[in-house]
Amino acid sequence: MSLLRQGSPAAGAAPRGQSVSDPDVPAASRHARPQTRWRLSARTRHRGMGLLLVTPFTLLFLAFLVAPLGYAFWLSLRTSTLVGGDHFSWFANYKQTFTDPHFLSGVRRVIVFGVVQIPLMIALALLGALIIDAATSRLAKVFRMTLFMPYAVPAVIGALMWGFLYSPTFGPVNSISQALGLGSADLLGHGLMLTSLGNIVTWQWTGYNMIVLYAALQGLPREIYEAARIDGASQLQTALRIKVPMISSALVLTLMFAIIGTLQFFTEPRVLEPTASSVITPDYTPNLYAYNLAFQYSEFNYSAAISFSLGAVVFIGSYLFLFLTRRRSGLK
Amino acid sequence: MSSPTPRRSRSFRRPATAAASAALAGVLLAACGAGGGSSADSSGPVHIKVWAWYPSFKPVVDEFNRTHKNIKVDWVQAGVGQDEYTKLKTVLKAGQGAPDVVMLEFQELPTIQVSKGLLDIGKYGANEDKGKYVDWAWKQVSDGDHVYAIPVDGGPMAMMYREDIFKKYKLKVPTTWAEFKEEAAKLHAADPKAYLTDFGSDETAAGWRQGLMWQAGSRPYTYSASKLPDIGVKLNDAGAKKVYDYWGDLVKNKLVDTTSYATTDFYNGLSSGKYATYIAAGWGPGYLSSVAKTTAGKWRVAPLPQWTAGGNQQGDWGGSTFAVTSQTKHPKEATEAARELFGTSEAAWKIGIDQAYLFPLSNPILNGAYFKSKKYDFFGGQQINSVFVPAANGIGSFDWSPFQDYAYNTDTTEVGKAIQGQVPWSSVSDNVQKQVTTYATQQGFKVNQ
Repeated sequence: MSLLRQGSPAAGAAPRGQSVSDPDVPAASRHARPQTRWRLSARTRHRGMGLLLVTPFTLLFLAFLVAPLGYAFWLSLRTSTLVGGDHFSWFANYKQTFTDPHFLSGVRRVIVFGVVQIPLMIALALLGALIIDAATSRLAKVFRMTLFMPYAVPAVIGALMWGFLYSPTFGPVNSISQALGLGSADLLGHGLMLTSLGNIVTWQWTGYNMIVLYAALQGLPREIYEAARIDGASQLQTALRIKVPMISSALVLTLMFAIIGTLQFFTEPRVLEPTASSVITPDYTPNLYAYNLAFQYSEFNYSAAISFSLGAVVFIGSYLFLFLTRRRSGLK
Repeated sequence: MSSPTPRRSRSFRRPATAAASAALAGVLLAACGAGGGSSADSSGPVHIKVWAWYPSFKPVVDEFNRTHKNIKVDWVQAGVGQDEYTKLKTVLKAGQGAPDVVMLEFQELPTIQVSKGLLDIGKYGANEDKGKYVDWAWKQVSDGDHVYAIPVDGGPMAMMYREDIFKKYKLKVPTTWAEFKEEAAKLHAADPKAYLTDFGSDETAAGWRQGLMWQAGSRPYTYSASKLPDIGVKLNDAGAKKVYDYWGDLVKNKLVDTTSYATTDFYNGLSSGKYATYIAAGWGPGYLSSVAKTTAGKWRVAPLPQWTAGGNQQGDWGGSTFAVTSQTKHPKEATEAARELFGTSEAAWKIGIDQAYLFPLSNPILNGAYFKSKKYDFFGGQQINSVFVPAANGIGSFDWSPFQDYAYNTDTTEVGKAIQGQVPWSSVSDNVQKQVTTYATQQGFKVNQ
């Protein structure tokens, strides 16, 4: 690969997005140019084949994503009350959504949560990735596995487990702090619930993000490090000035996933709800609110409107983020 | 150099989407597969699908199937309480997949009924059962000649207490709430780690709080399905305020604990002696003896403390019924199953009483010698039903709302705020009243406050 890149100026000047590792593509098309008719029929055949190959996906995509979305949108335009019956109400549900204190307080809560938790998690993941990228010992492999392991634990089980660890009478967290004479804290109480939830999410997702960043680091050409070393850069300088900027698009990607995940926060609060239902209220997060509206209060229409509004918030949020980081992410 | 990255990001998203759609497909397929309900051969018995979560229910079903040749009950445990209701509301909305007969607690009946999920089984002979059940229970399942469910078990409230702890700290078994507070202070002073009881602050204890208000004379709803859209809502009446002022005072002075019910911490408190009493209902002995097995023999049952000395005001927490869903294809057979699974069957109730600790609402069983005189080893051989049966007879009539989940959730949220000191206890019931009436008005009800 590196030989090619250095040796062939044509490959080096390949347009963005076209991989340098496919030098045979232009060669093949050059070869096929005189036989126009053959090329056409091959292309047609290819197209038919391609359509055939994407059909299963398209069908499933339409049946299980587009159709339910369409149905949900149709639901969200109707209003049905317990005694008033069902009628078409245009965007009345959406109007209600953006003045609904339950929805807005949930959105506010997840934003506060994200502002603290996401940077912390990504910073930890980046640190881990840089360490295992730099380390060459066998220990790095063990470290990588260990950090990644929580991601392999299903979110529900992870949250249940943490709920147990936080328990004021059984939980080792409180037993240890009491043994050390630090007193006990109600980790599932009003004051600390968001922090406790943040801890669960960080535990679960840091390893995953670390692996994404680590994979990006592995894809960087090693010669640059050598060049940096010859120029007198320390390990730290190499990490901060070379590695981090070069994987910025991967960083943007992980941040983006984290933002979307946070706005859609559901599993952990849902699992902890029975243990602390006076703290985790039915409107704790927007997604939890939508769930409770539909399945506890049978307000399917309003719930659909909440879901679409949340979708809009997620879309606008991610678009804004991508727009602000467009130079870093290379998605100009 | 940066060209590989967009590639990676693309290929990275693909498995995620595939996994998501595969998961979604799985869920939808499962949901479709769960449909069907009952099916009947032209020759064999009619299959009636029943959702219920009674403990030791299988022998009851077997007994029913043994004695009924025309019907075969297929029992499914579809979740306890709210879990089952969530499923039921979903399949009712979907228009298919509901069972023929479903176990519902009393407070949930109007909610399912108002969304047209229940069949009026009065047309299929259920009215004949009117005299077979205690009066207040029958009033809750019926509306004139319309019958929406058959009562099964009830939850008259009483106080279970640890006799050993009471002896150790020389506590008096309280007969009034004023005495209860005195003893709570005495116990907590003698052992700072122990509490006289745990105040149910969570959603699963919403019915507990409601039961205590019921005892205090609160009647928050005036509702009848035949008078829609009218409903009376008065969640901040004197009884409700009395209960919240009382418990708010105990909580503020840290004389009672506020751990959520239905948590491991709470179970642990019941068996470790952290709580000296458990204020519960007729089904409570079964619950207690399963979560606090190690304390067998140490518990006793006493009547619920009264607001005025010598009073006989009672309340109910929980209790359940069998209702027939509007999706059933065999209304006659489903009604028969609802009426006779427990009904007045002595064989079924022997299982229900001995193995499941159910509190019968069927008159002949409730007043029968077997139930009244039964001695319970868990309670040191006490004939506990000599406390519960009079309690059941002191329960007056009570209406539930058709938006009970919303009311309970709102109440739980406001109680949580009060425990944290965010709102004063005295304003809890007013806040609940305001939110619930707003909600009810939005839902198209004509609310009389």
